[in-house]
Amino acid sequence: MDMNELEQGRHDMLPKPTHDELARQQFARSFKEHIVAKIHPGVRVAYEKRVEPEITKTTGKAPVLRTDVEPFMTKDPHYQMWSALLRTSQEIMWSAAQKPVERDLEGLVRRSKVNGGAKGSLTLDPSLAVPRYLSAVDIHCQPGGYHTEVVSDDVAPGAVYDRAVFIYAMGQMGPDNSDIGRSIIEWLKERRPGFEPARILDMGCSVGHSTVAYAEQWPQAEVQAIDVASPMLRYAHARAESMGKEIHYSQQNAEGTNFEDNSFDLIVSSILLHETSQKSIKNIIAECHRLLKPGGIMVHAETPPYAGMEAFDAFMLDWDTVNNNEPFWRRSHEIDLKQLAADSGFDPDKEFEEMASSAFQVAKAKRSNKFQGGDFGGGGFWFLYGAEK
Amino acid sequence: MSDNPTLPRKAKGERPFFFADPDVDKLLAMLMGLAGEVSVMRDRMDTIEQLAAQRGLFNATDIEAFEPTAEVMQQRAARRQEMLGEITRIVYSEIEGLEGRPEDKDRASYAEAMSMVEQETD
Repeated sequence: MDMNELEQGRHDMLPKPTHDELARQQFARSFKEHIVAKIHPGVRVAYEKRVEPEITKTTGKAPVLRTDVEPFMTKDPHYQMWSALLRTSQEIMWSAAQKPVERDLEGLVRRSKVNGGAKGSLTLDPSLAVPRYLSAVDIHCQPGGYHTEVVSDDVAPGAVYDRAVFIYAMGQMGPDNSDIGRSIIEWLKERRPGFEPARILDMGCSVGHSTVAYAEQWPQAEVQAIDVASPMLRYAHARAESMGKEIHYSQQNAEGTNFEDNSFDLIVSSILLHETSQKSIKNIIAECHRLLKPGGIMVHAETPPYAGMEAFDAFMLDWDTVNNNEPFWRRSHEIDLKQLAADSGFDPDKEFEEMASSAFQVAKAKRSNKFQGGDFGGGGFWFLYGAEK
Repeated sequence: MSDNPTLPRKAKGERPFFFADPDVDKLLAMLMGLAGEVSVMRDRMDTIEQLAAQRGLFNATDIEAFEPTAEVMQQRAARRQEMLGEITRIVYSEIEGLEGRPEDKDRASYAEAMSMVEQETD
């Protein structure tokens, strides 16, 4: 493992952990690595050796869908142990990421106030409501979610998220957690050689992990990034400024923004769609259609749909829906994406669903090359859904 | 104590349990929490060893070559027994209950004790 995977890139908004705080975070990461490398493979063995034969024997046919696997697999002791450990690792990770943030919160809020000399901007809208799909449960078990503020001008959810993503991805998304943005860029370079978008919109940008990659790739472009959660945006803005990137952050819901029609060459999102809802995903894709210039392109990165997947793999990929507070995960993986694009005004012939290689290839050989609960950065690929207008 | 604000600890949303008895999940979570603390301690010890070596105090070879005296060995053995006793307390407290006075045996006798102290008047 090289240092890019072991150490997160430094910037002014990352709190400096104490010796033991860092050791606790490193344990959280080692624990996850252990689960992925040592315990997870046994789940397939248990499935093949005892669960699949049991399903076939009991039902008289081999399992085809994830729902054929579920009632049997959830009773398997090794699956239960893996699940219980994975859920626990998630809780340990958040707790470990929270500690230095909580200790240094006053300093973080102070450092987030960029005074003069800003290259980009931050526009908040206190009247914007947090959508139900984000407030109903705390997504992926981050206590307080993206939006909860405990002090004024809070940045804590952003600081916790920034660190936790690095631990969660086990460094496999690069030192700046920018792998999704970078992967979309590499894919675009092949699909559209010489593409130079003048105006880019990153939807549901959170702390701007991917946004920074676009600003880096196309320094001449105007980069707009939106999110509904103000603590994420305050943090994202301060982080981008400390990294010297010109990004314009504003608090807006991707379902309906204040940008003008036909005004973007490129609209992107990174693992946003699965954290929305049946109603809002339609609004978001329709909004992309409204905002794109003719000839513009939208690219949304996710993990692959269940369709065409082996029953066991779909069942395992579905783990997060119920077990990691991702209520829309399942439905978003089963939606008819071509229809969704068509309903939103896109030409179905210009819709695409493709697998893009992960740009952060350094450790590819060490990766599990499987999409599995707890290791989405280890898939080595991202699923890209989008359309050209 | 610091007056830092407290971040939320529990993620909103019902926590799933995977084993037939949720207490097994809880025990596992505690066990892994403990493993985490042991790991933190081990890292801290390593830092001490690295610093000691850097400053020429002692190094890993010295640690391997260290031969504790009988007194030190006895102290360590006693400390280990004490630690094991704390960890496995639950296992033998049940037996201690069985071996104790008859009224310690079950919940019913405990309820009797409660009702006794509640109703007792001067």
